[in-house]
Amino acid sequence: MEIDIRHIAKLARLHIDEEQLPRFQKEMEGIIQMVNGMKTPAQMDLRPDPANAMVLREDVVQPSFPRDQLLANAPQTEAGCVVVPRTVE
Amino acid sequence: MREYEIVVGLEVHAELNTKTKIYCGCKNAFGSEVNTNCCPICLGMPGTLPTLNKSVVEYAIRMGHALGCTINPVSKMDRKNYFYPDLPKAYQISQFDIPLCEHGYLDVMLDEEGTTKRIGITRIHIEEDAGKLIHGEEFSGSLVDFNRCGVPLIEIVSEPDMRSSHEAHAYLEGLRDVLMTLGISDCKMQEGSIRCDVNVSVRPKGSQEFGTRCEMKNVNSFSGAQRAIDYEAQRQIAILEAGGTITQETRRWDDLKGQNFLLRSKEDAQDYRYFPEPDLLTIVVDEADIRRWKEELPELPHHKLLRFLKDYQLPYFDANLLVEDLEKAPFFEECAKLGLCSSRAIANWLNGEVTRLLADRKETLAQSRLTPEGLARMIQMIEKKEISNTAGKTVLEELLATGKAPAQIVQEKGLGQISDSGALEPIARQVLADNPDAVAKYKNGKTNIVGFLVGQCMKASKGKGNPALFNKMILEMIDQM
Amino acid sequence: MKLYEKTAVELGAMLRRKECSAVEIAQDTFDRIDQVEDKVHAYLTLSRQEALAQAEKVDERLAAGEELSPLAGIPVAVKDNISTKGVRTTCASRMLENYIPPFNAFVMDKLEAAGIVMPGKVNLDEFAMGSSCENSAFQKTANPRDLTRVPGGSSGGSAAAVAAGEAVLALGSDTGGSIRQPASLCGIVGLKPTYGSVSRYGLVAFASSLDQIGPMGRSVEDVAMLYSAICGHDPMDATSARREYPDFGKTLSRQVKGLRIGLPKEYFGDGVDDGIKELVLAAVRRLEKEGASICEISLPSTDSALSAYYIISSAEASSNLARFDGVKYGYRTKEYENLIDMYERTRSEGFGDEVKRRIMLGTFVLSSGYYDAYYKKAKALQMQIAQEYAAGFEQCDVMMVPTSPCTAFRLGENMDDPLKMYAADICTITVNIAGLPALSIPCGSLEGLPVGLQMIGPRFSEETLFRAAACHEMLQGGPCAVAELH
Repeated sequence: MEIDIRHIAKLARLHIDEEQLPRFQKEMEGIIQMVNGMKTPAQMDLRPDPANAMVLREDVVQPSFPRDQLLANAPQTEAGCVVVPRTVE
Repeated sequence: MREYEIVVGLEVHAELNTKTKIYCGCKNAFGSEVNTNCCPICLGMPGTLPTLNKSVVEYAIRMGHALGCTINPVSKMDRKNYFYPDLPKAYQISQFDIPLCEHGYLDVMLDEEGTTKRIGITRIHIEEDAGKLIHGEEFSGSLVDFNRCGVPLIEIVSEPDMRSSHEAHAYLEGLRDVLMTLGISDCKMQEGSIRCDVNVSVRPKGSQEFGTRCEMKNVNSFSGAQRAIDYEAQRQIAILEAGGTITQETRRWDDLKGQNFLLRSKEDAQDYRYFPEPDLLTIVVDEADIRRWKEELPELPHHKLLRFLKDYQLPYFDANLLVEDLEKAPFFEECAKLGLCSSRAIANWLNGEVTRLLADRKETLAQSRLTPEGLARMIQMIEKKEISNTAGKTVLEELLATGKAPAQIVQEKGLGQISDSGALEPIARQVLADNPDAVAKYKNGKTNIVGFLVGQCMKASKGKGNPALFNKMILEMIDQM
Repeated sequence: MKLYEKTAVELGAMLRRKECSAVEIAQDTFDRIDQVEDKVHAYLTLSRQEALAQAEKVDERLAAGEELSPLAGIPVAVKDNISTKGVRTTCASRMLENYIPPFNAFVMDKLEAAGIVMPGKVNLDEFAMGSSCENSAFQKTANPRDLTRVPGGSSGGSAAAVAAGEAVLALGSDTGGSIRQPASLCGIVGLKPTYGSVSRYGLVAFASSLDQIGPMGRSVEDVAMLYSAICGHDPMDATSARREYPDFGKTLSRQVKGLRIGLPKEYFGDGVDDGIKELVLAAVRRLEKEGASICEISLPSTDSALSAYYIISSAEASSNLARFDGVKYGYRTKEYENLIDMYERTRSEGFGDEVKRRIMLGTFVLSSGYYDAYYKKAKALQMQIAQEYAAGFEQCDVMMVPTSPCTAFRLGENMDDPLKMYAADICTITVNIAGLPALSIPCGSLEGLPVGLQMIGPRFSEETLFRAAACHEMLQGGPCAVAELH
């Protein structure tokens, strides 16, 4: 089975160098070949299981975090915000 | 040129006014300083996990009931994956194949005669809002404010049931009124608390098949939606008339330019790779809660409007103003129930003078000292000609300021209307003597100048004279002159 | 006195008898680290000063006569994908080389409250993706039992640190065998707890529905004690179970009389080394002599489990790792033309090849047109596997199988063949798929390399696993020894 690595990489926002492409292509196809051998399950009903319910959070305000702590790991900040390359508006 | 029919479907996003965000305990607030209503969860920091806010589920189901939806007591959240700087996790936790509510409708009023159209609601689901990008020449790039990340949204998807931009506008207003009535959204357009995506297609009139649709993003006001739909319909019709075909695409509406622009074609459609959110388990809503929320449903705006038109015989414009206001409508009804004065007069006073004075005082009706009985008694005094209309305004100001009984105010301020001809006659004579020009004009056929003269009489009597009596008196006096 | 060779239980007793101090234990651990770390390379970050300060505090509290947790003063190494406030948490990735979390993982809050001493953060395969620890962006960890071999993965640093005496206990995380396989390869005890029993809050997610933090140590009692300290409900993790847990250290029994041991035949097939099968069966027979019974059972979908595992784990990983985009934290490429270019360069430079492979596999199986054939099918298989386990546990209380199909392989041996590397997980992944608890404990060695016995139980049956493992440990002659490493 052939896989469009370029398309997948684009979806995943990965840049794959031309010279690496054949290797990734081959490895990915090997993996896909393996998973293609998976048997078909008896039933495919995947509706959510009500027995596996979660408890919802009460709507009560908790303190937020200090901004400087939140942004301490950001690669670039300005005016209390993180900075990204200009997006077209 | 052939005749075309416009087909419109809307996806409306409304921010819910819960106390906290949808997946963390940060405050759900608008207008805070950038990045101050945030925590590691809002920023999608590694290792953080979402917890679903109970109120969000409740509000969405209340909305579902209001729109006559089927409620799914068992549902789940899903991830919608895409990269953008305002989406810190690079996925939005939303609902894909099992929304909380589906298969509903909204009845909207299309004209003043009360013509109603039922618009189908496909589904209502819950999801999180994204952050905000800030642009400015002075910055070294685009700035990201994450405060809005995690603000709870409901997305209300309609069927393609609207056939004009006018119907779409009425639908949007109808939705807003329902959200306001339920009190689950602030509905502040200027704060972006309601936004919509518009799907438009056209087809030759009489055709049963839908044309190819285009989606428009960035529609930020109801009037903008109306303009955007008309523009897009005309664009598609022009293409068809020129022998072209419509291609399915997403376009961006620019309200300032009054035009839309291609954002992406179908081929570039995003592949969101939805899958069930593994960090959250099944949402199971208690059937008793679902029933209770249905029972607690308040009267909906469309029903109330029809009732106000019929029961109180109000003009459409007045009734609509009352129904749109969550405080005025019940106040009006309490006033009317007292049976002291006419419903129309109550509506006029509430929509007019009361609204103006409250704005001056920067108060809401609930905050003010005005009671339904106070207003009704004041109007009753006018209707019984015990006070003039002008005096009524003074009484109203006092009602708002002091909350005293109208009769007491009239007495204390000496505002009682004078209907004693003996007391009014000298005033009328003096006004005629002071305004010979006006009398001359009247005699030359400018009969409407009598209003001016009555006004002068009222002024001279400090508003206490009975204007009808003044009017009669002046006409008699001029005749005798 | 070599304190680093002792178990946590022994050290706890010595602390209370004032035969040593917490500072001495910490100091001895760091001395051992200084002695062997250039051979083992288990640690990515050492937090010497903080650790000694923690130890001093424990000594002060003990001196003041406070009643402390049995783990107080015990050195616990922490896998570097568990968030530690103020201590960098790299996930062994360039992407997070300088990332310092502003918050603690739930388990770290619990351990700090218990008074543990953290010598530092230990190596792993990048973002916990791998079975040899060789996918770390920073260093290759060696197996202390044979320095030319891998320690296993992804919690290779945790296993190596414990086996080498560079920590008494360690936290690992297990998504497809990442605690049990390195425990097996390094000859120590490791528990992958029931899904939902330990909060994942602060564990950097690989595959959210499979990940679980768990304890590793040299004795069953130590592991039970550490598990008791970290399990429990956390309102910040919606998948965290609401239930009460016993104190597993205190309730530990070594009695297996009447215990029904199931041997799923699919785990004793061609894919597993014969010598390993024999050692596992020998251990089971010893337990039989102690009063346990044995039955053969079948888990027919085991063959497809590896495929289902790689589909589900990669799908979730592709989404979980999308947040590393150079915007909010972590690495950002130096030069870029625009936003998309910044994303693509950042992610391509920040992630290693194995992470990229899994992200692409996950992106593919979720992409339009393939979802039903892969992801949906894998999820349906997951349900089927869980049902097969449930049926199996009607016949037995615990299943015993090999942990790893082979002993520790040589560094570099499997690096060029992802599929061969993936096969290292065949005995462990179904447990994660079914959300079950499983424990690996040494059961002998082949050519000087440790072999692991894996005990699998129904959900929340950790107490049974500890009991069976403790009995086995006793029959083996006691806790595992620290590797000598001359």
